[in-house]
Amino acid sequence: MENLKIEATKYTPEIDFDVVNGALNITGKSYPENTFEYYKPIVEWIKEYMTVIDNDRKITVNLDLEYLNSSSLKAYFDLFDILEASHNNGKNILINWIFDEENDIAEETGEDFIEDFTSLNIKLVVKD
Amino acid sequence: MSDDKLLDDLSTLKESFISTIDKLTKDLKRSQKIMDRSDRQQRKEYDELQVQFEEVEKLQKEIEETQREVVFTMGSIAESRSKETGNHVRRVAEYTYLFAKYIGLPAKECEMLKQASPMHDIGKVAIPDAVLNKPGRFNEEERKIMDTHAQLGYDMLQSSTRPLLKMAATVAYEHHEKWNGKGYPNQLAGEEIHIYGRITALADVFDALGSARVYKPAWDDERIFKMFKEERGEHFDPQLIDIFFDNLDEFLVIRDTMKDIA
Ligand SMILES: [Fe+2]
Repeated sequence: MENLKIEATKYTPEIDFDVVNGALNITGKSYPENTFEYYKPIVEWIKEYMTVIDNDRKITVNLDLEYLNSSSLKAYFDLFDILEASHNNGKNILINWIFDEENDIAEETGEDFIEDFTSLNIKLVVKD
Repeated sequence: MSDDKLLDDLSTLKESFISTIDKLTKDLKRSQKIMDRSDRQQRKEYDELQVQFEEVEKLQKEIEETQREVVFTMGSIAESRSKETGNHVRRVAEYTYLFAKYIGLPAKECEMLKQASPMHDIGKVAIPDAVLNKPGRFNEEERKIMDTHAQLGYDMLQSSTRPLLKMAATVAYEHHEKWNGKGYPNQLAGEEIHIYGRITALADVFDALGSARVYKPAWDDERIFKMFKEERGEHFDPQLIDIFFDNLDEFLVIRDTMKDIA
């Protein structure tokens, strides 16, 4: 399986998924024209990754998203569904929800995820 | 079908029904959450937008204010280096605005002319001090040097791309032209002279005649009005002279409220 790397654009975040060291990084803003189209290959990659990776391999998902439009937010809820299912299948997943101190919306969004996905290991990380 | 089988089926149906309801409920709650979050985000964005919009408006006003100041200052510099004093440029600005309004120029152009006309003598900054500040009357050669201020002002301003400064260039260039073609620098006649030039010419002369100078007392109104009637269609655009007399009160109010403080 290959790494997934997508450069950031004005409307979409940078994607940097590394198969070997198990780091899945998404960094930037997300308000694409067609959110579903944009996230489709990303979700596909993650689904496949979860089928090929060993259960004892640690996976770290770093989400540093300063801006999400509503359809992107929906896409991340769906992504968390997949992560939760993988976790229930025995995967070892840590999610870092990263945000700027003054970005209240991002902080509250992270809190929403924690509230909705109680079984997942989600950490709120303030950028310094 | 036995009762047991029926009960089994019903039980399965019930479970699938419950799990479907659970999923629907979860989806609905999630949609609600996403919508709430988006609403809050939008409200915040809109608040910020309004704050920024207000700031832009404030800046815009400040820029316009600064532009006005700069323009008046430029005009005043030219005046202060010459024998004109005090509120001359400010009064000329107001007079030109009135003329522009009554001749029927669009409101925006009236406002612009009010800002541009104070620069009519800007070319005087390039006139040597010895000539500019000479007490008493100019001899013929000095007069010729003085008269170059129209061309000089035009040369200074004409290269600008700013509409206001372009207008000021026209004003500087043509404010000493006369309706009868005997003015300077180009001896333009009638409507060959831009309306900005014709207006500023009359406003400038009206204010100069009515103001006392080191070298001359102020003319009284009788004398000014007589001269204007004589120069109707000679020095001045006849239509503008008519506007002047038709709205005399308004011109005199400006003169009285913006008197020079001696
Ligand atoms: Fe002049």
